[in-house]
Amino acid sequence: MFDYCRACRLMVTCGDTTRCSKGSAETNHTQFNDVKPVLPRAMASVSEMYDVTWEEMRDKLRKWREDNHRNSEQIVDVGEELINEHASKLGDDIWIIYEQVMIAALDCSRDDLAWTCLQELKRQFPGSQRVKRLAGMRLEALEKYEDASKQYDSILQDDPTNTAARKRKISILKAQGKSAEAIRELNEYLEQFVGDQEAWHELSELYINEHDYGKAAFCLEELMMTNPHNHLYCEQYAEVKYTQGGLENLELSRKYFAQALKLNNRNMRALFGLYMSASHIAACPKVNATVKKANVKYAAWATNQINRAYQLAGRGTKENKCSVKAVEEMLESMQITMS
Amino acid sequence: LSYFCLFHSGAYCKMLLHAAKYPHCAVNGLLVAEKQKEKKKDSHSTPILCVDCIPLFHGTLALAPMLEVALTLIDTWCKENKYVIAGYYQANERTKDFRPNQFAEKVGARIAENFSEAAMIMVDSTRFTMGCYEPILTIYDHHENKWKCRDCNADCFEDWCEAQKITSALLEGRSYESLIDFDNHLDDLRNDWTNPEINKSVLHLC
Repeated sequence: MFDYCRACRLMVTCGDTTRCSKGSAETNHTQFNDVKPVLPRAMASVSEMYDVTWEEMRDKLRKWREDNHRNSEQIVDVGEELINEHASKLGDDIWIIYEQVMIAALDCSRDDLAWTCLQELKRQFPGSQRVKRLAGMRLEALEKYEDASKQYDSILQDDPTNTAARKRKISILKAQGKSAEAIRELNEYLEQFVGDQEAWHELSELYINEHDYGKAAFCLEELMMTNPHNHLYCEQYAEVKYTQGGLENLELSRKYFAQALKLNNRNMRALFGLYMSASHIAACPKVNATVKKANVKYAAWATNQINRAYQLAGRGTKENKCSVKAVEEMLESMQITMS
Repeated sequence: LSYFCLFHSGAYCKMLLHAAKYPHCAVNGLLVAEKQKEKKKDSHSTPILCVDCIPLFHGTLALAPMLEVALTLIDTWCKENKYVIAGYYQANERTKDFRPNQFAEKVGARIAENFSEAAMIMVDSTRFTMGCYEPILTIYDHHENKWKCRDCNADCFEDWCEAQKITSALLEGRSYESLIDFDNHLDDLRNDWTNPEINKSVLHLC
């Protein structure tokens, strides 16, 4: 039985205990078997619909927390019921659940629920910076950016090293569409907090959206240096290089797609990327015969692997046959243009 | 030359389901139309029917390699099904941002190379409601290397009432949770980007 790891997005066998290298956390793969509801949503409770106990609901919330999953509607469904029906059983877990549910509630415009969670947290942790930040996030959700900014500034007055408050201020700039300012602030932040991977990744995305691929590549290089085993960073770097274009960047992208595959041989994006970059290099009139031959070989190898992956995936499902056929034909047609 | 495209209910609803599945991300995708048998001299009077929508990516859109894979693969699939890629849609990350950006224009232009009447469609998230009271798209046509905006109203649909009814029903039922885009397909090849289950639901509601 296969499922896919929600952290690194690879297909793994259920019960797989090999390491998952998402971000900086080295944990085992996490798999989910989310049961889709068949009944209309209206009346049934989560525990009734999915036939789960409150412990399973609590564990699910924890998994989503650990993976930083943004499935806010589900978190609200499960979390709200847990809080309303089983608060007494949760012990000290309830506070972190309040925080998680509050943020999810903001995502779903459930200000009523967010407010309730916030009040509980304020009561339990008066004067806490962490709770102050949550109050700020609520103001952001209500688009009261000036008030939110003031809230974060007051946190920073008490604690100038509070990274969460600084990052929220940058998020406000992003929400307001002030990309150039967000980029500037984030660069300043990273000069001080050079090890903050989340920030480097955010910066690379901001640069990509501004089509500044050179600077995006730099951010990803930082991430690859500190996380040499992370196949996702390798693969994203390769995509940026490919997008930059030009023979040199294409060759670099092919190398990094190959590296990503070495780190994780089931990364389909890396496999497709290897195929595309090798094909383009082989088709380029500027390359000499040796380089062309080598890249034709790489592309052929990739074709083989892609076809195999599709065959494996298509086993047993009639509908997937169209995908398999389409891929085969696509690869065949590209072979023709290459030679 | 006035050509315009008509949206089939299934195509419209899948666009909105895609945007609803990833409210915090930019999303994009392709629209496909049935290939016209022959190009008649007076073909400007025949509307192009967008029969289906293939959701592509969510999150960071502006990278080339996977987009190229998707375009090539879907193009091959289209040829088998006598379809042609007729349009590109995009919903930006920020709700209030409903104008096409440089990336959308690039992709649109690329599609227009193969299909001159290609449309670029932007989703206006500020008017996105569960009830789907009005069409929330803005359509851009390619005129002399520029994109010209055209309003989207009920006339742009094969049957707006049906499209509204179906889209609203599927949103209420949270069908977007099972919508598959090309990103999901790359995560797990078994995920089918033609969305046969959703297509079935659409047919049931027709």
